[in-house]
Amino acid sequence: MSFKETLQSGKFVVTAEVGPPKGTDIATMLHDMHLLKGKLDAVNVTDNQSAVMRINSLAVCKIAIEQGLEPILQMTCRDRNRIALQSDLLGASILGIHNVLIMTGDHVSAGDQKGAKPVYDMESVQLLQVVDSLNNGKDMYGNALKGATDFFQGAVVTPEANPLEPQLMKFKKKVKAGAQFFQTQAIYDIEKFKDFMSFARNYPVKVLAGLVVLKSVGMANFLNNNVPGIKVPQALIDELKAAGKEKALDTGLNIAARHIKQLKEEHICDGVHIMAIGMEDKVPTIIQRAGLL
Amino acid sequence: MIITTRKDNKKLLETLDRYKSFYLIGCSECASLCGTGNDEAIKDLTETLTAAGKTVTGGMVPKTGCQTLGTKIELKKDKEACDNAEVIIVMSCGAGTQSAVEIFPDKPVYPSNDSLFLGNMTRFQVFDERCSLCGDCVLDMTGSICPVTNCPKGLLNGPCGGMKDGNCEVSADIPCAWIRIYERQKRLNELEKMEEIAPPKDWSKSQKPHSLRMREDKKKEKKAEKEKKQ
Repeated sequence: MSFKETLQSGKFVVTAEVGPPKGTDIATMLHDMHLLKGKLDAVNVTDNQSAVMRINSLAVCKIAIEQGLEPILQMTCRDRNRIALQSDLLGASILGIHNVLIMTGDHVSAGDQKGAKPVYDMESVQLLQVVDSLNNGKDMYGNALKGATDFFQGAVVTPEANPLEPQLMKFKKKVKAGAQFFQTQAIYDIEKFKDFMSFARNYPVKVLAGLVVLKSVGMANFLNNNVPGIKVPQALIDELKAAGKEKALDTGLNIAARHIKQLKEEHICDGVHIMAIGMEDKVPTIIQRAGLL
Repeated sequence: MIITTRKDNKKLLETLDRYKSFYLIGCSECASLCGTGNDEAIKDLTETLTAAGKTVTGGMVPKTGCQTLGTKIELKKDKEACDNAEVIIVMSCGAGTQSAVEIFPDKPVYPSNDSLFLGNMTRFQVFDERCSLCGDCVLDMTGSICPVTNCPKGLLNGPCGGMKDGNCEVSADIPCAWIRIYERQKRLNELEKMEEIAPPKDWSKSQKPHSLRMREDKKKEKKAEKEKKQ
């Protein structure tokens, strides 16, 4: 079953992300993909995440298919104008890539190519509409395509944004623009996430809760202080502290597994998206501890 | 107004190294308010050039440096000083500099300033960008706060995931344009405008070089009217 079919069947899905490396040596990435094979419903391939220049998402999605994984092509609007975005979407389609995750993209100033011109010719809501148009056999100017695309299109949302209401308004726009599934920014407070889900459940979309694995107390504090829309509750920080430095990562893996278990057993959302950020090899452990393997 | 800053003196002198004599043109409008093209700025650059062993044949602050015809007329009374200079230095914006190119087709023209942006003077000598002259104004949909300019990504449909406590991911010193828009529209009971999906911008309206030729357009209109009557 494809990712789309699995998600639509009502089964609890698990996705994780693979960050393309910076350089042509892909040995580690291939090793990670090998470990993830058969354990995920799909794998997200990030698009020059944090505006750091790397191998493009499209090429790595193709490799993922060759390695037996179903890819979700992440597409940001930071680096390409509307011609390049549509062209890459057509290219993705003929390479057998059928899932896309549309986002605005971190600003150039976050990355390692600081003099680059930020493009943002379009943004997430508009690009979702364009994907819808390509699926219906037309480019964004209404010109007929010889062969339409067949994308299952997703978007992102930040359930812990502060203030929240403008973020929820944007969520509604993304649904209206054609988003069929959402992968959220990392969430750590399940009770608060339930509030978001009671809002999201009013819309005909599937929601995968984003999970970022906590490696240490330092990382939790860093997320709280520096990353927009992420809030690690004090109770989890205390749990990591109590575990001690050596067992912090193991505790972080347990926390992620515990959250997945709860999200699934209480039918809070439709799946989870694990962002291991450099620890892709630990993803199978999390899934196993969550009782999903 | 057009916001300008003076180029570094050392770099400017390097650029002008091969020349000996100069005539300086300021501007009484934007560049005067920025302190880059007023009498004081002219005096300051004159001193710098003189100290470097150069000759300044003269200088003036025309009313509007980018008004080519008016500036040309104003410069007539200083013809001799202009003629005696090898080079014209323009102390206004890039537009003023290129007006001088039209006025002095046979002389090198150099800028003393960098042109930064179209700015509002929010306090004395404090300048902030509010409009980026995109050619396709969206202020009617955004509570008259421009997201094309005030959001570093120029987003048209609400805040991105980089917003943190009402500020921008690019810098905590930049308030998120979309939170400002949201709060204003909420206050004005216009929040429904934020629910409408804004289409991609038409950048063809921002195609360079821009020009607006009202004289020619009026002539064409008159001609068309005449033909209609006949």
